Amino acid sequence: MILAFQLAYRNLMGAGLRTWLNAAVLSFAFVIILFFNGLIDGWNQQAKLDNIEWEYGNGQLIHEDYDLFDPFSVQDGHGVLPVSEQENLVPILVRQASIYPEGRMLSISLKGIAEEQEIVGLPTHLLTNSTAEIPVIIGKRMASAANLRVNDEVLLRWRDVNGTFDAQHVTIVGIFDSNVPTIDNGQFWIPIKKLWEMTDMEGHATMFISTVDQPKEIPGWNFRSQEDLLRELTEIIEMKKASSSIMYILLLAIALLAIFDTQVLSIFRRQKEIGTYIALGMTRHQVVGLFTVEGSMYSIFAMILGCAYGVPLLIYLAATGIGIPEASQEMGVSIADRIYPVYGFALILGTIALVVISATIVSYLPARKIAKMDPVNAIKGKLQ
Amino acid sequence: MKTDIIISIENVTKKFKDGDGEFTALSNINLEFSKGEFAGFVGPSGSGKTTLLNIIGSLDSPTEGNALVMGKNIAGLSHKESALLRNKHIGFIFQVYNLLPVYTVFENVEFALLLQNYSASERKKRVMEALEWVGLQNMPDKKPSKLSGGEGQRVAIARAMVKRPEILIADEPTANLDAKNAHIILQMMKKLNEELDTTFLFSTHDEKVMEYLDRIVHLEDGKVVRDEVKNKVAAS
Repeated sequence: MILAFQLAYRNLMGAGLRTWLNAAVLSFAFVIILFFNGLIDGWNQQAKLDNIEWEYGNGQLIHEDYDLFDPFSVQDGHGVLPVSEQENLVPILVRQASIYPEGRMLSISLKGIAEEQEIVGLPTHLLTNSTAEIPVIIGKRMASAANLRVNDEVLLRWRDVNGTFDAQHVTIVGIFDSNVPTIDNGQFWIPIKKLWEMTDMEGHATMFISTVDQPKEIPGWNFRSQEDLLRELTEIIEMKKASSSIMYILLLAIALLAIFDTQVLSIFRRQKEIGTYIALGMTRHQVVGLFTVEGSMYSIFAMILGCAYGVPLLIYLAATGIGIPEASQEMGVSIADRIYPVYGFALILGTIALVVISATIVSYLPARKIAKMDPVNAIKGKLQ
Repeated sequence: MKTDIIISIENVTKKFKDGDGEFTALSNINLEFSKGEFAGFVGPSGSGKTTLLNIIGSLDSPTEGNALVMGKNIAGLSHKESALLRNKHIGFIFQVYNLLPVYTVFENVEFALLLQNYSASERKKRVMEALEWVGLQNMPDKKPSKLSGGEGQRVAIARAMVKRPEILIADEPTANLDAKNAHIILQMMKKLNEELDTTFLFSTHDEKVMEYLDRIVHLEDGKVVRDEVKNKVAAS
């Protein structure tokens, strides 16, 4: 095997430009695969951290009748949890409401939250410090959609526990900038005590954000762990990863096709050489091995070449990040305005394995023909 | 005449498929070669010279009969065993040199030793010695494309001889050389034959080669028609 590597190295170095052209194409595929996967892993990591920091805390205790994906469940999906049970829990009450900015009507989720909470990144201290009758904090997306600024007042209409409509002007006391659209789009955050007062729902909550990993079980409330809450986000990102992989699979396929082509041509063009190897004492399988190793060594050279320009490039991109257009942040999935690619060991080793194994396979396939060659004809360079 | 028989051809027949029928390249050949012989197969094209050399060189096997080379019956050898036989005991010189084009002169000669797992220092010593035999010790780094025909064939000789094989097979070694280079090559091979006691087997229709041979086996239509040993007809 060492001999095959030794000879393959000599053959490839001797082949000069042809070797480096193949290696260059393959190295490009190698760097692109690393970059795209690193970008998506970076997005995944960042999105998870953002969601934990801004929305999920250490998990959520959700009223059993409330379903995040069913707006009709908002009406009845709430309940009262005794104060004695509320240790390590931050209550949130969700109600449906409408606002009327600039004469338009927008449906919103009105969310009451304990102002003193510190478990999520929402700047609820702004609610405490405000002297407004009904202070509200909103996210930048909501502010943009309703064209609202800090200190603006807007008419809010809601229904109390009995279904009676009520309306009042509320004051925007803060606009926060978060990468998590699910706490921003179409949402108004007000002090929970004020919401209880407005809706006559003293002590009610739709859900609680937990400050501990696993609170005790409470009948009528379902605990969703951090991992469980992040599952959907992870699945969305994995799906994105799979769809992006089509591009780099195509790129890899082009590089592998170049190797395959080179191998097929080599075996035709180098028949005399193959015959000479056999005459000099190599077994046919050793020659097959030599040609296969030659093909897989393209992937080694590709890695060396890829490292030469890819490592500085990928380190630079990991440090500066990739700017994400504004439009992408309206997708409804947590995405920062700048993603910092993350290149883990698993990603690097996985990519190396993918490139080396696939290069070896495409090299071996045409090389198998050598095992059936007649060495006498091969020495003469006769096509077989 | 030397007596250690290292090649024994017994009733060897070789047939090739030729369309729907068969073509008989060798017919019932019986020959023996001793250690240190400088012999050649002579005959017109299609007489079976190269086929016989290929069988002796274990690149091909007989359809019928036995070809014993270094005590091994070629017909019964696996690919691996025949490769080992060539690797250890047989050197080849081809009409068009068959040098490995991307290797230097040194690397071409070294190749045979790489297959035998010699250490780097031992390989270097042996390669330089082989290059000295053929007078190319000053150009180890040249690529085959930069060599003249005569130089190319001398590299081929060094490559074949570097592992000091018992048998050296040379298929039309002078066919691509001018008369001067042909004589240089033949003198070189004769000297190596005498110094290293290697058995040389040629196939040729070059009269210059025949001048140097101690034994000439004449083939026609796949049959031995005359077996001359230096001024004496040994068999027919």
